[in-house]
Amino acid sequence: MSGYKFNIDPRPPKEDKIAEHRDFGRVMHNYQRMTNPLYLTPLYRYRKVFLSLLLVLVVAFLIAEYADEQKQEQKNLKQDSIERADSIAKRIKQDQGPQGR
Amino acid sequence: MTLGQSNNQDLNRYHQSKEQIFNESQIIDEARKDPGRFGILYEKYYRQIFVFVFRRTGDEDIAGDIVSDAFLKAMVALPKFEFKGLPFSAWLFRIALNEVNMYYRKSSRERVVSIEQTNISDMIAEAGGEKESEENRQLVMRLLATLTSEEMQFMELRFFEKRAFAEIGEILGMTENNAKVRTYRIIDKLKKVLDKTST
Repeated sequence: MSGYKFNIDPRPPKEDKIAEHRDFGRVMHNYQRMTNPLYLTPLYRYRKVFLSLLLVLVVAFLIAEYADEQKQEQKNLKQDSIERADSIAKRIKQDQGPQGR
Repeated sequence: MTLGQSNNQDLNRYHQSKEQIFNESQIIDEARKDPGRFGILYEKYYRQIFVFVFRRTGDEDIAGDIVSDAFLKAMVALPKFEFKGLPFSAWLFRIALNEVNMYYRKSSRERVVSIEQTNISDMIAEAGGEKESEENRQLVMRLLATLTSEEMQFMELRFFEKRAFAEIGEILGMTENNAKVRTYRIIDKLKKVLDKTST
């Protein structure tokens, strides 16, 4: 096998196909993406990306705050119930004390 | 021949005047500072490069993708481009040819070679073939099939696309003289086979 496919007297390319592929805007866009990668461009240049990232950060902060508050509340409740149980136990002990004697 | 005459010959070789090539160099300088200016060169050479790649792929969609990549690479490499008084197109053809070669290295497709019937006649005449018979045509085709991809590039550029040796040298990254020697070495190979069959 030669590895060649010979096109004898080939047809010229179709003009509409050439026009379809001719797009300098796309080449320019790819060039800018290639030469100015996202990680090198200041984030504020992309307004939408910047705002959505800010929103995600704010939501994440609020969720974290809420979770922290809940945790603290549960801790306080636990502490309260322990303290209450301790005081009841103390009172019972005091009440039983003289009778035992 | 004086140095100036030789230079003028080179400048006129690819159907562009000295002034046109100089104007082009100014656009290149502008495009280095403002990539948007590259659009002028893109519009000017798009069709030529497309046809060049299409001859080597035989498919418009594949050619379109390769041409886009070639222009993108040209834009990125533009700061490295050195103006040597030759048309910018030769540099673009070189990039496009590298992209075609890369495409064939990556894919398992057969390399497409576009030939006009008259090109075969020209090759037979160049090789000193006495008559242009069907037998000789078949022989040339069989011989072409044995060429390496590098040798085939010389044949394509010189005989199938009728390019000047200076341009072939520029496209393949060698001197005009070297391009001429390499091309005629292949023709000698062809001549030997034709001589053998005629005796």
